[in-house]
Amino acid sequence: MQILLNGLISGLSIALLAVAFQIVYLPTRIFFIGLAGLYAVAPYVGMTIQQTFGLWPISMVASVAAVVALSAAFEWANHAPLTRKNASEGAHLVSSLGLYILLVQLVAMLWGNDVKTLRTGLDATYHPFRPLDDSVLTGSQLFMFGGSVVLLAGFLVMLRTTDLGLRLRALADNPIQFALYGYNVNIHRLFAFGLAGVFATAAALLTAYDIGFDPHTGLHATLLAVVAVIIGGRSSFVGPIVGGLLLGVIRAQVVWHFSARWQDAATFVVLALFLLLRPQGLFGQKTRIEAT
Amino acid sequence: MNYLIHLLIYFDIYVIVALSLNLVVGYCGLLTLAHAGFYAIGGYSYALLALVWGWGFLPAVLAAVLLAAVLSLTVSLPAWRLKGDFFVLATLAVQALVFSLLYNWSNADAPLGSWSNLTNGPFGIPGIPRPEILGVALTDSRHFVLLATAVAALSAFVVRRLTASPWGRVLVAMREDELAARGLGKNTRLFKVQAIAIASCLTAVAGALYAAYVGYLDPSSASLDESILMLSMVIVGGLGNFRGPIIGALILIALPELLRFLDLPDALAANLRLAIYGLLLVLMMHFRPQGIGGEYRLR
Repeated sequence: MQILLNGLISGLSIALLAVAFQIVYLPTRIFFIGLAGLYAVAPYVGMTIQQTFGLWPISMVASVAAVVALSAAFEWANHAPLTRKNASEGAHLVSSLGLYILLVQLVAMLWGNDVKTLRTGLDATYHPFRPLDDSVLTGSQLFMFGGSVVLLAGFLVMLRTTDLGLRLRALADNPIQFALYGYNVNIHRLFAFGLAGVFATAAALLTAYDIGFDPHTGLHATLLAVVAVIIGGRSSFVGPIVGGLLLGVIRAQVVWHFSARWQDAATFVVLALFLLLRPQGLFGQKTRIEAT
Repeated sequence: MNYLIHLLIYFDIYVIVALSLNLVVGYCGLLTLAHAGFYAIGGYSYALLALVWGWGFLPAVLAAVLLAAVLSLTVSLPAWRLKGDFFVLATLAVQALVFSLLYNWSNADAPLGSWSNLTNGPFGIPGIPRPEILGVALTDSRHFVLLATAVAALSAFVVRRLTASPWGRVLVAMREDELAARGLGKNTRLFKVQAIAIASCLTAVAGALYAAYVGYLDPSSASLDESILMLSMVIVGGLGNFRGPIIGALILIALPELLRFLDLPDALAANLRLAIYGLLLVLMMHFRPQGIGGEYRLR
């Protein structure tokens, strides 16, 4: 039970980042590695504001705002011009990789390479299932659980019920048709990037509160998120969430049965299996991948 | 003088890496992130065979090359079916697995090279011997540079001949239109397997040279950062022809040396160098997607 809970909670942060990746990937087909840079920046902004003003709501709002601005800037300055030039998938991927490297190195130059933590009195432990079960959760884990569930549920509700959600799904489904109906594709893409920034910040801050951060955690977290997207299915918005949870549980089981150092090996074996046996993922429609 | 020799040896090693990576990325059009994995496999095979079992340079390198060729199937088999982002992901999985194996196949109680402690994990392998060829031990860098340059020249010659041959033209045809190449009766799967195997072998040789020169090897040589560095080298230098990767390797060697003149603190200089790489990648994609001297634009 304890292992399952730990797995689910770390899975939630993977799911948040996977959703961030998917929000960009589905409408634009951009393999957004720059996300890893955003993930790396967020806790540093939060920490700096926290130290200046000492109020955690301000620091959270500020880091969300900063990352959303950065994410939109990535689209505005890099991906939108490349799309106008009809650049290839590979060009988007490589330039996004370049942005990631640039951003992470800037963070490292500004704030240093060492590991930092954002602990703020969340070290107390709780037994949420006391009468039934003896599992222990820390305050930061509970906080993380609540925060990510609210965000993910809010996102799904937004997608299903609001007009904006419908337009996002339409853009993901067929961008050309979407443009033909007279909607402004660029604004919606910008919005998708901004939303990805929100989710990346949430994932980064929640993880930073739980286990700390350094400039280089972003890429690893993003790779896990991408694996979650592949597991869940790359043509759906629900898939990444399920994939993230599943991956979190699998990784926790690996820690329990083998050792923490084989976590990544297991993760990428799972990725390889999915790519070979079920490339459309759990929630995807069956299409030939060569066709896309 | 020693400084120049040191630079020349690094240049030799990276020329081999860049030329071989260009075979996969530039000629086959397959963006791979697994290249550093094969580089490290070459380095580790040589290090273990030479240090633990006392093999000579040539047989040890030959064994490393064979191992790399067999393991290259892990990249070329996915290339049969996957394309674009999915192929990149598959190579990423290979890369992560190689790194994970090198990093974790260790046990502090067992001697280095035994079954339970094959790679010594994060501590790496120290004291890798310099090669001995025809009874001459190349302990002096001035002698080692001759070997490195000779190997690099030989690799460059092989790559040059291969890409100028009908075999190389089939690769280009396959990159441009795989269906058409298959329609002309070319077994594109076999060509992919061959090209990736050759590239992996060459980079394994480069890895072995590096291990022999530096004398120490740790799993970071198989890290994703290393793969990204190799990739940015060929992308900045240029894809799809002979001169591009060589220009890329030159830039990779020259950039840190130029930054040395800025007199920055060490930690900052390393970060700045990588930041410039990132910026170069972005600018390249915008203004010259085929790289400085290249002919092929990434798809």
